[in-house]
Amino acid sequence: MSITSLRCPAPIRRRLPVAPRDYDLRDRAITAFEQQDFASSIQLALQYLLPEISIPDLAAEPLLIVQGSARVRVHIDAGSLAISAVLAELQSGSAATAALRYYLTRLSATGQLFQPRLRGAVLSLEFRDQLGLMHPLKLIEVLQRLPMEADANDGWMVERFHVSTPDREPVATLAEPEFDQAWAIWNDHWSAMNELLLESRRRRSVRFLDTLGSLAANHIRYLLPLFGPVRADLNESAETFTDNEEHPNKRDSSLAKCIKSMSKVSQEQLRNCLGHASYAINPLQEGTPSLISSMLSGNRMQSTGELRSAGRSLEAALELISDYVYLLAYHSWPAEIESTLRTGLEQASDKPWREAADLLWNHANSTVRSHGNDLDPSVAEESAEYSYDA
Amino acid sequence: MTPDHDPNQSLDEIDGLGVFQVYTGAGTGSGFLIDQRHLLTNCHVVAPYRQVAVEMRDRTRIMGTVRRLHPYRDLAIVELAHAVNEEVLTLGDGSALRPKQSVHILGFPVGLPLSLTEGVISHAHQLLDEQHYVQTDAAINPGNSGGPILDDQRQIIAVTTCKLTSADSVGFGIPVEDVRRFIDDFRAQKSKFGVQCPACEELIGDALRYCPSCGTDLEAYHEFAEFFDEPDPHPLVNFVESALAKANVDPVLARHGNHNWSFHSGSAPIKVWCCCSEHLNFSSPLAQTGSKGLDQLFQFLLSADHAPFCFDMNGSTIRLNLVVHISDVFASAEHPELAARVTQFVAKANASDNLLIDCYGCSPAPETQTDFLNSPAHQ
Repeated sequence: MSITSLRCPAPIRRRLPVAPRDYDLRDRAITAFEQQDFASSIQLALQYLLPEISIPDLAAEPLLIVQGSARVRVHIDAGSLAISAVLAELQSGSAATAALRYYLTRLSATGQLFQPRLRGAVLSLEFRDQLGLMHPLKLIEVLQRLPMEADANDGWMVERFHVSTPDREPVATLAEPEFDQAWAIWNDHWSAMNELLLESRRRRSVRFLDTLGSLAANHIRYLLPLFGPVRADLNESAETFTDNEEHPNKRDSSLAKCIKSMSKVSQEQLRNCLGHASYAINPLQEGTPSLISSMLSGNRMQSTGELRSAGRSLEAALELISDYVYLLAYHSWPAEIESTLRTGLEQASDKPWREAADLLWNHANSTVRSHGNDLDPSVAEESAEYSYDA
Repeated sequence: MTPDHDPNQSLDEIDGLGVFQVYTGAGTGSGFLIDQRHLLTNCHVVAPYRQVAVEMRDRTRIMGTVRRLHPYRDLAIVELAHAVNEEVLTLGDGSALRPKQSVHILGFPVGLPLSLTEGVISHAHQLLDEQHYVQTDAAINPGNSGGPILDDQRQIIAVTTCKLTSADSVGFGIPVEDVRRFIDDFRAQKSKFGVQCPACEELIGDALRYCPSCGTDLEAYHEFAEFFDEPDPHPLVNFVESALAKANVDPVLARHGNHNWSFHSGSAPIKVWCCCSEHLNFSSPLAQTGSKGLDQLFQFLLSADHAPFCFDMNGSTIRLNLVVHISDVFASAEHPELAARVTQFVAKANASDNLLIDCYGCSPAPETQTDFLNSPAHQ
């Protein structure tokens, strides 16, 4: 075994603070809607989602919110509420056919209320409906999903389809010292993943591949504020290598290809794909005590514990690190819990596998005792299974 | 053996046989003709619905009215809205069945078109829950229920009813003697509808608690009263079915299982389903892309003019979609705007396939009713 430990540095990605939801506002919005006071209902629903933003009279002026690189406009016009975000403008000579096909196959869909719409050469994600059909739950769903989708389809389309992006929020690149740190993290990460891939191939274990795939995608997402083509390429590969339904050989090959291509990313390419964006709506899910319990206790931890007691420290350590990274990468936590989770990772960083596994095992038990809740073990297992694929 | 059929050739062509798919708001199953106007199926396929849809081989559907149920023996007879011409299979002789004898099962497993599976009789008179069944190892899947089990002479020897889910290749059919008796009793039936007592088999015409003939507590066997009432519809079902009715689509004929509907609007196939707890989807796979003029086609499909509808592509199949949020369905009792949207969607789907084929070089989608593409009404 050539790799003896994993580095878990402090993230460059900035922490997104938790803004606890005021559910009373949402309930009042529903009541106002049921009383057919549609203007108040919309105002209250927007206040619920955007507590730090002053909501204007939408009939008089549009509300502009920034979500990563997406600019989302919300306004009332002719008795309807409209929400839109420009994605791209088609250029003559651009790869328009491929771009249009991508929009039709990947962005248009059943099961979502907003859709891509083409006006002239400008393609936007749009949603519009009458005020009388603007139930707050519907508005909240669109406002959570449309900006996120618009943010995900950012500058990478310029490179891939040669379109222009006329109405995007620029994301400031990192300062030089921060970038140097990011570059070191990037290289360390893919180098470690490459070595662990060899271990995965040697062990021929699907469970190991599950953990490694999750770690390869989630750790770097947690550590670096990625956007643009590099994030798009990583996400595209991760769709295959983290897909538990896919054949292991295909996942292995996709992970190997991803590691190879990510390792070849130049400094300039990475520099252009890193930056601290701002988000009007926190894109992370709210972390909960039950999530901590479901991830760090119950059958899931028992299974990791069995690896640890059987002396399979590498697998146990990786599973624990992967779980911690998942909790931090996709969830926002109160400062105290976030700090606790980060401390666990820092303690395990660069430690030999056995020591890292022991440290994190004890840390996880203590974290569940202090920040988890009592959960039916079967529920815990179910939640963990469900959430691990993200 | 009937003189008309060579046993080696008899099941080569199954499309002409009178075996059809039955649809309700709870699921789908199979059924077979006992004469040109009547279909036999399982009770669990149709109950508690009194009106069901029966799909012909050309995918048109006709209304079926349930006339007789035997919940305990799991049999039902459905009267079709009009006579159909497919071949009526004959009932065979169940007395000579023996293990290892070949059987052929016809039906619509997991909603696929009419399919044949084969196996042998594992036990000719298997006792299970105090009733006898023909046990077979032939593949039985959801959707096969109510279909015929045939012998080599293409005669019905049993009716598919269930399988053990905890075991492999253990399926059961209702013996043909019970089926024959059920049909004979139906032929003598005077009332429009009746349910047989599970104990004495007397036909009961009303939702009674006790059998008037043998005094059995009927509720102890099944929720007997429910056989006499259509199920209380979910608000979502109410919304979809009233909106379809306003769009001149018969909602009973459109039913395709729980919270699913499927029908054709002229040439265009339309499916309606809930993908999650929040969205009700209407989608019509209209056409498949050609190889030329794709820029123009894609620009047309993405045009903002189509709102509130949208086109998307699943592989090379172009679909027209409408998504309704469930909160809209529950927001008020009346939904005139939403119902109007459904009507527009149904009309637009019917018109759009022709447009895509004529103006953008597309070809019909696999489920397009091509006979209707150029009909005057369609134009």
